[in-house]
Amino acid sequence: MEAYQIYSLTSAVLFAIGIGGVFASKHFIKKIIATIIMGGGVFLAFVSFAERDALTFADPVPHALVITGIVVAVASGAFALALARRIYQLTGEESFNNEK
Amino acid sequence: MSILIDGLLAILAIYLALQSLLAPRLSQSVFLFFAFGLALALAWVRLGAVDVAITEAAIAAGFLGVLFLDALRDFSSTISEKHNNTEAIQSSASRKKIKTFLLPRLAFGVGLGLFLLISLEAIWQIPQGGGLTAAAESMLPESGVEHPVTAVLLNFRAYDTWLEIGVILLGLLAIFVTGGIKIYTKPDVVAKDPLLRQVILFFTPVLFLFGAFLLYIGKSGPGGAFQAAVLWGAIGILLHLGGKPVFAMIPRWVGQLVLIMGLGFFLLMGFVFMSGGATLFEYPKAYAGTLILIVETLAAISIAAALTAIYANLNQMKEEPKENESAN
Repeated sequence: MEAYQIYSLTSAVLFAIGIGGVFASKHFIKKIIATIIMGGGVFLAFVSFAERDALTFADPVPHALVITGIVVAVASGAFALALARRIYQLTGEESFNNEK
Repeated sequence: MSILIDGLLAILAIYLALQSLLAPRLSQSVFLFFAFGLALALAWVRLGAVDVAITEAAIAAGFLGVLFLDALRDFSSTISEKHNNTEAIQSSASRKKIKTFLLPRLAFGVGLGLFLLISLEAIWQIPQGGGLTAAAESMLPESGVEHPVTAVLLNFRAYDTWLEIGVILLGLLAIFVTGGIKIYTKPDVVAKDPLLRQVILFFTPVLFLFGAFLLYIGKSGPGGAFQAAVLWGAIGILLHLGGKPVFAMIPRWVGQLVLIMGLGFFLLMGFVFMSGGATLFEYPKAYAGTLILIVETLAAISIAAALTAIYANLNQMKEEPKENESAN
């Protein structure tokens, strides 16, 4: 079994954990963490395929895309955090409470 | 042997991801998330993607972790009592409902399991070969840099990188709007903690030099604008923590200029060469290396400023209600 195979399988598991966390966890911060774990899974899949298609060096296009993707994920994560904190300040809620 | 390391690293990443979502306390979640980011960075080193590893460790684990820690101040103070209250109410009310709760959870679990199987199958079946390695390799001498990832980021796919700088600015603007636009307040307290002062004095030059090194080395090896930007952004955050918020100390228009400098110069350069008959973001071959270095430097300064501003804004969100109270 090659190294990239281990990591591409891991990426699927991470994505599933993330998507489960998005639905199952209640608190805003945990939901945001879950989306970032999902993103981590996707990036891991990209990079593992870059390693598979390596010639003299690994495929640089997925690497560049993943660097871009990480930065975008962080920017959106920061925005989500700002929204969560604003909701908490205004309402005192720290999770989506559907019963109210 | 290498299989063993990779396997252990994969298990570690999965375990940390699971634990950070299942941990009962929020602070545990955040710290496990830090650890998850670092485990992922190690995985990327193993896959030969050192650029990605540096970016992940610096920005996804480091910077985002700092933002999460900062947010904990908001949430953690009240979570324990509130959590207990809701827990008590729920447990008394939901004991009767337990059967109705079981079915959705079972369905959720089964659905998630099926989803996992489908994604494993899909990943297994992605056809081998292809990729753009050969294309990138053949064009590398014309890009002006020696490191393939930098060549892709700043030459072959410069449009993506330009938009990415835009996305960070957009994120900053969105945070401005959610927090209520306000000019950075000038706190009059300088850091009283002698340890913090020493840390700032010691780390500012080190971080600056290390960032500049990463920026320059990006030409020929792993490193580049984003990695440097995070290190320089860390300087801004440290200064902010030490009671010297950078954006409050410089005139407002300078701050705005620094924020849009990277995006603006990139676009201006693209248009200038476009007027000479090239396509957007195409460099003249003779100056490509120098131009890429200039673009990278300006972009790194802009991103560092944007990261500092994001942190400063999120950090000030906590203080806002107090101001309102005193005003009322």
